[in-house]
Amino acid sequence: MPKLTIAQNILAANDTYAAGIRQALAPRHIFSINFMSSPGAGKTALLERTIERLGGQLQIGVIEGDVETSADAERIEAAGASETVQINTRGNCHLEAHMVQAALDQLDLDRVELLIIENIGNLICPNAWDLGEDLRVVITSTTEGDDKPSKYPQMFADAQVVVINKIDLLPYVDYDLEKARRQVLALNPQVRFFEVSCRTGAGLVEWCDWLADFARREVTSGSKELQR
Amino acid sequence: MHELAMAQSITEVVVKKARENQARQVNTVRLLIGDGSGVVTGPLTFCFEMIAGTEPLLTGARLEIERVPHRARCRVCATEYTIPDFVICCPNCGRWESEVISGTELQILDMEFEAENEQGVQLCQN
Repeated sequence: MPKLTIAQNILAANDTYAAGIRQALAPRHIFSINFMSSPGAGKTALLERTIERLGGQLQIGVIEGDVETSADAERIEAAGASETVQINTRGNCHLEAHMVQAALDQLDLDRVELLIIENIGNLICPNAWDLGEDLRVVITSTTEGDDKPSKYPQMFADAQVVVINKIDLLPYVDYDLEKARRQVLALNPQVRFFEVSCRTGAGLVEWCDWLADFARREVTSGSKELQR
Repeated sequence: MHELAMAQSITEVVVKKARENQARQVNTVRLLIGDGSGVVTGPLTFCFEMIAGTEPLLTGARLEIERVPHRARCRVCATEYTIPDFVICCPNCGRWESEVISGTELQILDMEFEAENEQGVQLCQN
């Protein structure tokens, strides 16, 4: 019986799209971020606060992934994003690079300097799909419990940034900030942390300033590539 | 349930290769899956068989999965070890400075198939 060597990555088709996205964004000096979290951790809230703070200095484009509805895209537009596209996956649990490519075709990239892709709320599946992003940001929150990094290790292991949201609720929930940080560091010693409250604004200055700075440096140094 | 999307990607690649090589029937597809890839064998096999059932070329095709251990090498003392639950701490020196050396694989290795015409089969590798 004939045997044929294939020796191909299972996600090779996705990786081709992801490479195409990088090739499209790099010459335009667009810095791109993949926002991932469980449902309700505050991805959209962090996006809103980030746009409100940085929208004056950076043109921000958003690709908003949701299973259904365009409610989040409407929130993002109201916050002042330059360009917004909604992707509805109709049941799919994660975004794939071809969906992002199709969304990019609907964006006016001349009006985008920072592109934020909000993935589907899910701490497992989105991690396997490279979306052509420069930075992976995982958002977790104090209401989810401090054991999430250990329970969903891959998501936290592959992120460059972990944002802990809802720190204003720390007095009311059994969340040990140090324990959560230790768990993430055990998986990912190089990770950068931010502790914020999208509700009170705590920590948002540090996050936004760092992000604007990092994006500018990456884009101007020309060394824009995913560090994974 | 990302195993379903993975299974779809696998069947797309395999069907394309099968057509290019005038396969009548694909019998076996071999995969290399790392223990650190987050892909679970049971659901992947289930999803593959479900999709294979809708594709004549893949009817009855079997998935053979070879797992690769998730391993790391300590940058400080060069100890190589199996990573327990993604925690990359060296068991020898206790440092957190290891690099992952295996276990992230997600590869389709090869497939066995019956050719349309058993004589003069020429494999098309591209």
